[in-house]
Amino acid sequence: MEADRKLITDLTPEIEKTSIKWYITFFIFLAFFAVGIYGLYQQIDKGHIVTGMRDNVVWGFYIVNFIFFMGLSYSGALISGVLHLFHTGWRKPIIRMAELITIISLIIGPFFIFFCIGRLDRLHFLFLYPRIQSPITWDVIAIITDLVGCFLYLYLSFIEDFAILRDYPDLKVAPWKKKLYKTLSLGFTGTEQQHKILSNARMVMAAMVIAIAIIVYSVLAWIFGVTLQPGWHSTIFGPYFVIAAVFSGTGLLIILMWIFRKIYHLEEYITQRHFVNVGVLLTVIAAFYGYFTFSDYLTKWYGSIKMDSILIDKLFTDYYSLFIFANYIGILLPCIIIAFPKFRTIPNITIAAIIAVTALLVNRYIIVIPTLETPFLPIQDTRPDWITYSPTWVEWSLTLAGVSVFAMLFMLVSKIAPIISISEMQEKDKNEIMK
Amino acid sequence: MRKKIIYAILVLSVLPFFTLRTFGQEVTKITPYVTLQYLKNSESKRILQTTLTYSKNRMEIPLQGMEISLFTGTEKKETIAHVVTDNKGIAKFEITGDTKLISDKSGAWTFTSEYNGNDSIDAGKSEIVIKDVNLEMSLTLVDTIKTITVKATVMENGKEKPAAGEVVKILVPRMFSNLLISELTLDDSGSATAEFPSDLPGNKEGNLTVLAKFEENPVFGNVEKSETLKWGLTTDYSVPKSHRALWTKTAPKWMIYTLSVLLTGVWGHYLFALISLIRININAKRKAREEYKI
Repeated sequence: MEADRKLITDLTPEIEKTSIKWYITFFIFLAFFAVGIYGLYQQIDKGHIVTGMRDNVVWGFYIVNFIFFMGLSYSGALISGVLHLFHTGWRKPIIRMAELITIISLIIGPFFIFFCIGRLDRLHFLFLYPRIQSPITWDVIAIITDLVGCFLYLYLSFIEDFAILRDYPDLKVAPWKKKLYKTLSLGFTGTEQQHKILSNARMVMAAMVIAIAIIVYSVLAWIFGVTLQPGWHSTIFGPYFVIAAVFSGTGLLIILMWIFRKIYHLEEYITQRHFVNVGVLLTVIAAFYGYFTFSDYLTKWYGSIKMDSILIDKLFTDYYSLFIFANYIGILLPCIIIAFPKFRTIPNITIAAIIAVTALLVNRYIIVIPTLETPFLPIQDTRPDWITYSPTWVEWSLTLAGVSVFAMLFMLVSKIAPIISISEMQEKDKNEIMK
Repeated sequence: MRKKIIYAILVLSVLPFFTLRTFGQEVTKITPYVTLQYLKNSESKRILQTTLTYSKNRMEIPLQGMEISLFTGTEKKETIAHVVTDNKGIAKFEITGDTKLISDKSGAWTFTSEYNGNDSIDAGKSEIVIKDVNLEMSLTLVDTIKTITVKATVMENGKEKPAAGEVVKILVPRMFSNLLISELTLDDSGSATAEFPSDLPGNKEGNLTVLAKFEENPVFGNVEKSETLKWGLTTDYSVPKSHRALWTKTAPKWMIYTLSVLLTGVWGHYLFALISLIRININAKRKAREEYKI
């Protein structure tokens, strides 16, 4: 397996030497992570009283983060799977990022469930006494299945790159890294038969990760949908969650493309065309997402079921600004920015993506919290702080810790593997890709 | 240079821990809440129950292992007992025939519960004035109608007087709380009657408990009288034989089949991918052997 020096230098900027910028950035994220650990210590020591969760709002920011990170993961799988399966020519510089979003988010997401559970010592009961009828059991099975599948899919895409790095004679890396590349490349030498086997396996897994992503995120949506809570009990919730996930994942992909392009000077590989293409994808998904959102709320509004009406009133009063941002600005503004060709610059598309991702996080918040703040039964001796929810510093610190871990894992991966697939970039159709 | 920067970042990353500590709250004394209740049960057993708690983040938190003194009398107080609070912040004392109680001219007892405080908790006390009431309940069938009659008298200046105008609740204990059947106001003779519903479920034999109660009465405290009899409908609480359903222990067959097919399909494809990896490795080894032979 051979590759030219330029490709290796450009696409593996942190493998041979670590820059000071890398260390500074990493330690900043590590500091945020440390504050999160301190928050977690406080929570373990004093209990969930240090969070904003009370009798009614038992799912707070942790569950919001869980849904958000899992959404990013499934969208990463969907995007990479679809781009790979349909042999989209321009996919090659960005597909690795989508795959990494999948795995890293999938690792971080479930931790927020652990933070939310009051009796973590009973967690193993889920495996010892599972009830197949429970959507929670479906979710546990689905997440494990998805994690294994995505790891396999990512690994399949890495094999050729590991083989290239193993065989490159001038690569100045520590002996353990060389050994790692040798082991993980499984002796891949690029024979026709090996290519065929690998290609078949990747195609099968690409199809599988698409199917799994849709099923698994629908299962997560059903955890909400199968309950009789106002705002959650909706038949549209499964596809609505899936489309919302792809919306946030596409946005994050654009943000990461901008960051990596800027930091590692990948202008030659990640061009404006990539931003425009993914941006157009974001616009199309935003339109679908907006349609689903409108359809969901309109049906509830006209249904005039008492609790749904109370909930919608609450969304348009107590949560007015968040609701408008998540469901109007967060959908329309990215569409407007990307729809007009003269606005389609790289910074503008990135800003549109940031708005989309933030709006989606807020959307998750207004799906989870206002519903729990709208209990069916009147409560005796009720107090506002038992009903209303606001996250405490502990929840904020653990949220920031999650984001920091996401960034740190991305940085650590860039230390051992190419951030853009070398093997795909050196294929014959490279010039075609760059068009 | 690089090392210095790394050290500086390390120091900076540790700083948040120290800064967080500086925001710690100052230690202030806890202001406790002391409550005192008088309870008289069906067997005329009289109990003084005191609680010691404090409020934090609008939550009531019990103070455990604290000594509370109980007194009787107003001007001249006499100690009845010293009790210690349990893990719920509750301490109880049973008033027996040996307990010396000081009553005022009207025959009322004044009880005081006093906590002296310590270095971290302020002192606190609570006081109640109680008149000893005699509550009676009779359950009879009047023309096949289940009738409850309650009568209450109170000792005043050595004479027994009817507790006219006071409210007695008729309750039936259910699984989670007491079901209110009727709220009776006692007439001038201190008595009142109520009809008992005929459709209330009892246990397997139809037994249920009827409770007449002065609840949180400002003069009498909590005084109750209870009786268990066959006034309920017979019910069979035996668990039906489990069947396959969403709400039973065993899942419906279609659900098991669907999940099994789905999982087999997905994990089957994973197996295919794993076998592909093994095949790549075998192919590489074979090729290496062939090159070695050459």
